[in-house]
Amino acid sequence: MSAPAVLSLGPSVVVRWRGRPVVVCVAALVVMLVAMLVTLSAGRLGISLAELPGVVAGSGSRAQEWVLWTSRLPRLLVGAAAGAAFAVSGAVFQSVTRNPLGSPDVIGLGAGAAAGAAAAGLVWPGVVPVPVGALIGAGIAIGAVYLGSGAGFRAPLRMVVVGIAVGAMSLAFVQLALARATREDAQVLAAYLNGSLAARAWSDVLLVVAALVVLLPVALVLTRPMQLVEMGDEVAVAVGVRADRVRTWAVVVGVLLTAAAVTVSGPIAFVALTAPQIARRLTRSTGPGMVAAACCGAAVLVVADLVAQYAVPGVVYPVGVVTAALGGVYLAFLLVREWRRSPA
Amino acid sequence: MSTAVAQAPHTTGARGSRALVLGLGLVAALLLLVLVLGLSIAVGAKPVPLADVWSAWRDPDGSYVSTVVASRVPRTQLGLLVGAALAVAGVVIQGLTRNPLGDPGLLGVNAGASASLVVTAAVLGGAAGRTVWAAVPGALLAAAAVYLIGSGGRRATPVRLVLAGAAVSAVLVALVEAITLADPEVFDTYRSWVVGSLAGRPPSTVGSVLPFVVVGLVVCLLLARPLNALALGDEAATSLGLRAGRTRLLGAAGATLLCAAAVAAVGPIAFVGLAVPHVVRSFTGSDHRWLLPYCLVLGPVLLLAADVVGRVVARPGELPVGAVTAFVGAPFLIMAVRRGRVGL
Repeated sequence: MSAPAVLSLGPSVVVRWRGRPVVVCVAALVVMLVAMLVTLSAGRLGISLAELPGVVAGSGSRAQEWVLWTSRLPRLLVGAAAGAAFAVSGAVFQSVTRNPLGSPDVIGLGAGAAAGAAAAGLVWPGVVPVPVGALIGAGIAIGAVYLGSGAGFRAPLRMVVVGIAVGAMSLAFVQLALARATREDAQVLAAYLNGSLAARAWSDVLLVVAALVVLLPVALVLTRPMQLVEMGDEVAVAVGVRADRVRTWAVVVGVLLTAAAVTVSGPIAFVALTAPQIARRLTRSTGPGMVAAACCGAAVLVVADLVAQYAVPGVVYPVGVVTAALGGVYLAFLLVREWRRSPA
Repeated sequence: MSTAVAQAPHTTGARGSRALVLGLGLVAALLLLVLVLGLSIAVGAKPVPLADVWSAWRDPDGSYVSTVVASRVPRTQLGLLVGAALAVAGVVIQGLTRNPLGDPGLLGVNAGASASLVVTAAVLGGAAGRTVWAAVPGALLAAAAVYLIGSGGRRATPVRLVLAGAAVSAVLVALVEAITLADPEVFDTYRSWVVGSLAGRPPSTVGSVLPFVVVGLVVCLLLARPLNALALGDEAATSLGLRAGRTRLLGAAGATLLCAAAVAAVGPIAFVGLAVPHVVRSFTGSDHRWLLPYCLVLGPVLLLAADVVGRVVARPGELPVGAVTAFVGAPFLIMAVRRGRVGL
């Protein structure tokens, strides 16, 4: 690992940075932007690259304006922001549990948030707003996993198995909500079962971007203490970091981010599992790189949505199907590698 | 749980009275099954008084009530067969792998069977995708994949198998969704089936899966003594004169047949194979001569009761039975984890 360079702004502000994560972030953002442009120009209603500046400037046809501003841009932005939110949440949880399998989507947090959103939107409409419902659901799910595992966050494998149970119960609750709902509602909210980015609005963009703006800095502040806590509670205490407090804050940030992302996109599987791991591999860093994870998450979800919409001509899949397929393969790979490494 | 029973030096009298109690319990379980069968026919959009169910079924008089009853009979028969199949398959899988978390849903067998059915339906047409044979290869392949990933070339612990099952299921479920969403014809056939439901199955289903379920059940029930011996460990079992390999092969064949038949009939339903054996074991202990018959009776009780609940809680809609069993059965997964002895 290269030694960190130091960027000094005057005598008091000193920022340490390494080159590699910056390159990774830029590369991920470029991939994301290319995928966005391809998505915009694809399909029968696509806006070609040559026309795009004109449409942005307001000189396109009404149809083109509609495609850009109402149909495709909100979807792309929700995808990017939700991907980033999932990824940061995943990085936080993976750090707290010290295991890639401790991701919010593997331990049932996403499903819990979806159940909460379905409860707020369908079963008891008007009691609390849907995002608050998602937050309550995610909170209940993480509480159930924490208590259910009987060992708190110290036994990641136990958490995962308990999370499978919590996730199954949550999705069963979502099905209950859908079965009770009237047909039109159910069509919209069916996305809560699988995760989908179809028909997103600007209000969704606003919600998830606002969550990121508030919570990403908190996650950044937590990065260093979390890195120390990862080395073990004794090490952390020895250098003056209170491990329990760091963990609590980290879990709060992770739960909030997952709830925000699930509110706008449903429980899209395995982005939170894969994106932080991709980021860690690419940056070759040891700690949770929040910004790199966020960039990778945004790129992963935007690319996955592109694949979901246009890979098979004539069929539009919910993006959750694509991420579940890819993420499942990755999970299997992780398991095999982990078994090889750890004794018995 | 599945470990050897330390045989206390029972007097013959104590053993005899225990057998009497368990025998009477089995009779009570049968009575419970009769009650649930009656409820399954009585409860629905048009309730039939429980007292009238028998007469309306035995002597159809063309009245409205007897038509309603006749329409619910196939569904009830299906629940009877599938409940028995899943519970017995679960207990056999748990015995063979000495794994308290053995469940056809958790270990990916159900997902494999459904993927195989959907692929067959997409390639050869809808009718081919309803035969039990079409489900067998997928069930076997998925089980093999889960075992390979879960063991990673070494000993497979229960938790690793469950995680591998989650990974394999994620990929296969995504495959099922990709195929069903792309092919409207297949989608129509499978819409209710994908989530596991007793509703809306073609009337011929009972007849087509019955032989498979009967053969599978007979094979599994005959394995009671060998499974008891196997619980002592392979070496002890061999020294008792058991051919461990043959028992494994027969058990795996029987359980696969049962899972394939159940999935072909009503779709993937999880947690019945986990929950029923766990409840039964709490009062029979780990003697398969009692475990298997009890599971045979109480499996249908759970599935039919779940189906009745699903008809009541989501009026005017209906909650698929798979969602109800997930909600009821998932806590048993948490209990099993908390009790330990699952490789954590």
